[in-house]
Amino acid sequence: MLIRVNDKEMEFCGNILELVLSLNLNPKTCAVLVNGEIVKKDDWESFVLKDGDYVEIVSFVGGG
Amino acid sequence: MFEIGGKRLKSRLFVGTGKLPDYSLIEKMYYEAGIEVFAVAVRRIGPNTKHTKNVLEYIPKDATIMVNTSGAQDHKEAVKIAMIGRELTDSDWVKVEIEKDTKYLFPDSFETLKACEILVKEGFKVFPYIYPDLNLAKELEQIGVEAVMPLGSPIGTNKGIGCEVLLKPIINEIKIPVIIDAGIGRPSHAAQAMEMGAEAVLINTAIATSADPLKMAIAFAKAVEAGRLAFEVGILKEYEYAQASSPLEDFISG
Repeated sequence: MLIRVNDKEMEFCGNILELVLSLNLNPKTCAVLVNGEIVKKDDWESFVLKDGDYVEIVSFVGGG
Repeated sequence: MFEIGGKRLKSRLFVGTGKLPDYSLIEKMYYEAGIEVFAVAVRRIGPNTKHTKNVLEYIPKDATIMVNTSGAQDHKEAVKIAMIGRELTDSDWVKVEIEKDTKYLFPDSFETLKACEILVKEGFKVFPYIYPDLNLAKELEQIGVEAVMPLGSPIGTNKGIGCEVLLKPIINEIKIPVIIDAGIGRPSHAAQAMEMGAEAVLINTAIATSADPLKMAIAFAKAVEAGRLAFEVGILKEYEYAQASSPLEDFISG
């Protein structure tokens, strides 16, 4: 199954929590948008990604 | 102490964390320069991104986080970033910064107004970054934003208070706090902003890109405090000709 994560295509099967963990990111400090919509953290485990989904993983960086 | 955005704060110096050489400086600025408010931005993180470190992990837990919507091109993107900010932090402070042009980074007033209307209704404490435009500031005050953040001069230019004649009316005419943001390059510029009656200033580039950001943060903190004290006392008027400080009679002769 092919999804897009931060503009890069990748093979992945599973839910959002599994995706975040597989990328070695801290789930506590990330937010995830699927097809432009924020997915609440409580729903990460039950949200299984589908073929063609566009995922953005965001977090905080230095900014003014 | 002063109150802003539902908080009681001691320091009127707010600091942006962009361009810092090392995020561990944030904690030092909190403890050694007394900075209580830190601005942060939301960006993609993880595979194929420049960003690997999460700034939140470096901000002391008692500090206030101001989520900046920079990078947003329109009000919808700004609202989305604010929502993400609230999802990831306890903070409901959001600096609304919307820019379409990247050469001058001037704020888009129409989109900013729209975003502020939505975010105030959503219960955020809203701090819009704006042109020094009194009419816009009045509109935003009506909407219910916490403060307005007019620019001193374009972001990162270090040119200081380039438009005092436009900023002063805003400070004089609206009741909500005015925070001078952007373009302040030296502690003396910050002192000038405070002498004019600004409630606070937000500095990023001038501190973050200096040779010693902690020392510069301390310099700015002192300048802000000095400027504020002078404002509270009242700045004296200027005269055309000399006004003697010593008495002009009973001189010694010969």
